[in-house]
Amino acid sequence: MRLKVERLEKSFDAVRALDGASLELFAGEVHGLVGENGAGKSTLIKVLTGVHRPDRGSVLVDGAPLAFGSVAASESAGIAVVHQESTAFRDLRLAENLFVGHEPRKFGLFLDRSRMQSQAKAVMERIGEPPVPGALGDAPLARQQLVAIARAVSTNAKIVVFDEPTASLSVKEADAIHRAVRDLRSSGVAVLYVSHRLEEVLGLCDRVTVMRDGVVVETRAIQETTRETMIRAMVGRDIAHAQPEPSSPKEVRLEVRGLSRPPAFEDVSFQVRAGEVVGLGGLVGAGRTEVARAVFGIDRPTSGSVLIDGVALPPGDVAQVIKFGVALVPEDRQHEGLVTPLSVATNLCMAVRKTIARAGFINNEREREVTEHQTESLAIRTSGPDAPVTSLSGGNQQKVAIGKWLATSPKVLVLDEPTRGVDVASKGEIHRIVRDLAKQGTAVLVVSSDLPELLHLSDRIVVMRGGRVAGSLQRKDATPESVLALAIAEDK
Amino acid sequence: MKRELGLLALLVAVVTTVSIVNPAFLTTQNLRDILVQVAPFAVLACGMAFVVVLGEIDISIGSMVGLLAVVLGIGTSPALMGAPVGVVTAVMFATGAALGCLNGLLATYGRVPSIIVTLGTLSLFRGATELLLKGEWVTDAPKSFINDTAAISIAAAVVLGTWVVATKTPLGLRVYAAGGNPEAAKVRGLDVKKLRLLAFVTMGLLAALAALISVPQMSVIESGIGAGWELFVVTCVVVGGVSITGGRGSIVGVVIGVLLLGTVRTVLVFLKLGDDAVYWERAIQGAFILVAVLADRLMVKRR
Repeated sequence: MRLKVERLEKSFDAVRALDGASLELFAGEVHGLVGENGAGKSTLIKVLTGVHRPDRGSVLVDGAPLAFGSVAASESAGIAVVHQESTAFRDLRLAENLFVGHEPRKFGLFLDRSRMQSQAKAVMERIGEPPVPGALGDAPLARQQLVAIARAVSTNAKIVVFDEPTASLSVKEADAIHRAVRDLRSSGVAVLYVSHRLEEVLGLCDRVTVMRDGVVVETRAIQETTRETMIRAMVGRDIAHAQPEPSSPKEVRLEVRGLSRPPAFEDVSFQVRAGEVVGLGGLVGAGRTEVARAVFGIDRPTSGSVLIDGVALPPGDVAQVIKFGVALVPEDRQHEGLVTPLSVATNLCMAVRKTIARAGFINNEREREVTEHQTESLAIRTSGPDAPVTSLSGGNQQKVAIGKWLATSPKVLVLDEPTRGVDVASKGEIHRIVRDLAKQGTAVLVVSSDLPELLHLSDRIVVMRGGRVAGSLQRKDATPESVLALAIAEDK
Repeated sequence: MKRELGLLALLVAVVTTVSIVNPAFLTTQNLRDILVQVAPFAVLACGMAFVVVLGEIDISIGSMVGLLAVVLGIGTSPALMGAPVGVVTAVMFATGAALGCLNGLLATYGRVPSIIVTLGTLSLFRGATELLLKGEWVTDAPKSFINDTAAISIAAAVVLGTWVVATKTPLGLRVYAAGGNPEAAKVRGLDVKKLRLLAFVTMGLLAALAALISVPQMSVIESGIGAGWELFVVTCVVVGGVSITGGRGSIVGVVIGVLLLGTVRTVLVFLKLGDDAVYWERAIQGAFILVAVLADRLMVKRR
């Protein structure tokens, strides 16, 4: 056994990213690691590579315990990693990229350029690739990923961790990566391969481990694994929420027609009716947030249009979009949703400051009225309207971020990750607020990575995959399995 | 390399044009004067190149040179301390390293953006200089220990040394890596903060060296020495092709940038454009930096 991970635990504030995850990895195997967003895969990788220090647990490499929290220690233990995004130094050349940090030297002081060159060539030959001329940043992404693999080879790594190396590559480009992975396996390296492409995992791996909520659910030999067993294990939780009463959607309020902004998303079309909650689902990177931003006019689409009550919105003009009655509660509330040093009252009245002003000055009377009304109806727990918004809990901050827009009585409300980092109680209240708004006739678009939340809130779920709409599911057809099946690519 | 060749062509064009208009420009004495004049800026620009490649900036260097000049003046003046030149020089270098270290610590481990840190120390160092002099001038500091040849040779040695470090050593490679992609550098186990600190300390040492080769040439030492130098040096570095976002640039380009802007400084006199011509210097300097940054942006966009 090459690598033994035992009961790793790691928390970030209140979030348990790893909750006793264990894993075994053998020399000469490609071991797949799959799981939903937030299952703990990335944290596990970061512990292995020395970026994060776990709270509890141990990792043994060839029986020797790994010293945590040091990139150098992980590297000298023989663990190398190939990241999802290129970690290339774009301005440096191939050989420089391969050896920076442990450069071959002459006279102890100088770079041995000729040795760097010949070693670089040898390493690229070992993975069956020609050398890259010029600055690495000028090479296509797939080549940069191959160089990352070459680097792992050059350090004589015993364990190579792949973190979704093909996520941004085409199927054909991915083939070259797969070939390199198989070569690593036949030379006795232990490979841990994280991917969202289940077909890729089935075709490449010898065993597959499924993670969920920070623990390992199961590890199976590839012969006993199918797409379905993986998805079932990835989801496998009870969804015992009280189902909200279905809303009664009316006329089409928001229509997105052929909206494109490559490479983030292309040809996205869907409708949201008044009184309807539509969820926008998909994996991280599928283009959901980018669509929400384009709908709100933050980013200008290259083609397509957004219509409110049949009238096309001017593209890329937030001020106009707001006038049309659209509101956006962004994903990053600390930076985009709230003005954090300011008070609860100021934040709540931010979007209506014109209507509560008299001759250009804020009318304190009106500000207090709006604040009191919103604080009460949203059950915002605060020491007072003048309390800085930072003094509130995450959940209450989010209510302020939503309340800011409710004061404008929006026709369309777009929520991006409305309950990320929010405690369970506030989460329930936010869900109730969203459903109430829909009942009052607001058209709501919810972007969320939290699958149970999406299923709970939405009358309909539009699932995105790789920047396109993969399909749409009515509430009665939407299950974790059906959503994930749409969200995860079927490689051909 | 393209950038460097373009700059070199521009330099040659400027020199040729001026020589045709006024043959007095192309005399050994005049060219030597230009070299002596730009020597301290070349030294400073080489240090600044590393700082900027790492994605940082140091705008306190003018004040640093001023403070170090006063240390040198007060230390060596027979009327004041009258200490041996060697000892005072050593103290000045130690002071330079300490000042650079202060900038570096605040900018790295203190997590304050370096432009703010050095904006503060720019005033702080200048204030210290004024406190030390209290409006007095030092007029009797010894001058003979550095001549023109020494100044030019020292600057050339610094250029050569920093070029070797930048292109031939693991340290230089790591600086470029850490400047170009700090996150990836951390993942590779490079200590990015330590590299940045090192660049600021080196900047302090080179400020001392710049003071050493320029101050003894001045008739008096007063509290305004070095004022505005930071702008000229940053201009040279940026015009020389060092990317303000870090990761890119060469010592060769920086040196050509120094020569180009240093020449432009003096040619205005030789062009016989009338009495007002000298007042164009700053405007031309400003135009250079804007064109250089714009060229940089366009090149980045194309990639």
